[in-house]
Amino acid sequence: MADGLNERHYKLALVVDDSVMQCKVLSVLLKEEGYRVYSANDGARGVDMYIKYQPDLVLMDINMPIMNGYEAARQIKSLSKNTLAPLIFITSMDTDQAFIESIEAGGDGILVRPFSPEVFKAKIKSIQRISDLYAQVKSLQQAQQKDAELAEQLMSGVIESRNYALERIGIFKKAADLFSGDIQLTAQCPNGDVNVLLGDFTGHGLRSSIGAIPLAETFRVMTKKGFSLFEIIDQVNAQLYDLLPSDLFLAATFVSVSSHDSTAYVFNAGLPDTYIYDEQGNVKHKIPSSHPPLGVIQQLLPGCQLNVVSVNEADRILLLSDGIIEARNEKGDMYGIERFEQAAISGVKEGDITKSLLADLEDFCGNMVQEDDISLINIPCKGWESPILVAQIQQGDSSLGEYVELAENGAIWQWQVKLTGEKLAKVNPIPMAMGYVHEVEGGGEQWQNLFTVLTELFVNALDHGVLGLNSDLKKEADGFAQYFHERENRLKSLSTGFVELTLSYYAAGNGGRMLIKIKDSGKGFDHQALELSTKQVAIESQQLSGRGILLVSQLCEQLHYQEDGTMVSAEYVIN
Amino acid sequence: MSVKKIVGDSARDLTIAIDDRFDFSLHQLFRDSYSGAEETGTVFTLDLSKTSYMDSSALGMILLLKDHAEKVSGKVIIKNPSDSVAKILEIAQFHRLMTIEK
Repeated sequence: MADGLNERHYKLALVVDDSVMQCKVLSVLLKEEGYRVYSANDGARGVDMYIKYQPDLVLMDINMPIMNGYEAARQIKSLSKNTLAPLIFITSMDTDQAFIESIEAGGDGILVRPFSPEVFKAKIKSIQRISDLYAQVKSLQQAQQKDAELAEQLMSGVIESRNYALERIGIFKKAADLFSGDIQLTAQCPNGDVNVLLGDFTGHGLRSSIGAIPLAETFRVMTKKGFSLFEIIDQVNAQLYDLLPSDLFLAATFVSVSSHDSTAYVFNAGLPDTYIYDEQGNVKHKIPSSHPPLGVIQQLLPGCQLNVVSVNEADRILLLSDGIIEARNEKGDMYGIERFEQAAISGVKEGDITKSLLADLEDFCGNMVQEDDISLINIPCKGWESPILVAQIQQGDSSLGEYVELAENGAIWQWQVKLTGEKLAKVNPIPMAMGYVHEVEGGGEQWQNLFTVLTELFVNALDHGVLGLNSDLKKEADGFAQYFHERENRLKSLSTGFVELTLSYYAAGNGGRMLIKIKDSGKGFDHQALELSTKQVAIESQQLSGRGILLVSQLCEQLHYQEDGTMVSAEYVIN
Repeated sequence: MSVKKIVGDSARDLTIAIDDRFDFSLHQLFRDSYSGAEETGTVFTLDLSKTSYMDSSALGMILLLKDHAEKVSGKVIIKNPSDSVAKILEIAQFHRLMTIEK
């Protein structure tokens, strides 16, 4: 497929010789080889005809009037920089000097008279073979360039343009090749938390992009459906393992920031340390890689878990790929961790980490060519709340009033799941429930708060009911991280207990009412005290725990505990 | 050439040593160094004592070697990585996947 270069279906030769006789002889031989032939009798005319006919081959005499062969060759070669139209000098000057000058003038070969027709034809064939190869390489190169451009377009135009909150999350990427092996994704969870991924596929160029589309798809869809960060990582790993050859994998850091819990969840699989800075530029946490890159092993290593860290509103999380650390200067020294950390700290103080880092890096590297992709993601820990939720809370209508039970048998539909023992530790029923609701009732923003309600109630039933965790633990500053670890431990050894979730949907006016019932196998608790304190919390607010149930009470028409606190009913209204 | 292949006393003992840079340019040489070793239980020792730099495609190549070793019920041992190479192996947590001897 040599489009552009060889659109003609015949080959064209140009013979430049002041002897009309010589022109004729060469023309006859060339025609026997299948060429159509034009001839010119001096160098200047030869250049004109070259421009006019763009021949596939030029035969050039050296000594000619007006313009000699060397000068004509130079002009022709300067006109044909992007193609290889081979040019052969035909001469009777059998000297080293003539040979050297011919090649220096741009000739691809020289043929010294006298020669037999067979030698002439052999020479033409060999030179044509080289020229065909050149054309082939050229067209392959063009095809590759087109592919790389397409991949680049796909990556920036389709994959990364769908990222969330780009005005708040600082994303920087400078690719080494046209197409980069680095991928940066952000997406919003149904409860307003933000999930961020910085990934680095093995190698560069098109080869490293194979996994980008399925990765982006899985990350977005699972985030949107409300799967936990760990479930997303587990799925991405399994998917990349199935999809990619052994030597292709993804080093990646996953981060989820919850303003609601003042907590960040970090999982670093094969990237440099993740940094969490406070306002003054102090490093609060450094989270090293704790797992091989994704797609290397079929299942995540047993016992691996998220790093859970408490964050303040003013904290910033910084993710990086290895490109910046390994960037080299002219002496071959690496930029390195120390320089990086220094520049990052002054960047935090000055208010723009990326800008400071890049300026410092540029000073260091000078004019060196960049070998690897450079990626930075700078995430603020503030403001990750669901916009709808915020709007509703401002109405401030806490409705823990009289409870009126809807008749079970009037429901349009019911959906129920009961998870027991180990399954309870492994399966998250909320995405399933939401999936069912969306399928039956259609999607839309009106269901976003239902996700929050279901999640809060389910987590309460599991954590406080089945696992018997005390939420007082969460009241301390670093308590959430401790709580999370304790929860992980208890989940691991969970063998008994259950949570049963029932959704019943009733028609009401133009909308409907969703009755949510969650029953757990726990000991129960003093729910009357809770209902009282919830009302107080509603006034005092700003406590780390108890906010979950406060939220639910604000989002639901009714909220009611029964059976010593082991069963909760809530009613969610759709207008 | 910067990929050296040393067959030990037994045919089930193969050492591959990489000099200087271990990156994608060694792909074919590296693969050739072990592809003939089909003896059951072969131990592939990867000597990285003279390797000054390693990129992520080198990690990929080591994983291919590991696949090959597992196919013949053998194993891979990485030996004496320099500090900078050890750092790269650590970030990739390769000690969870194979033996690394310092």
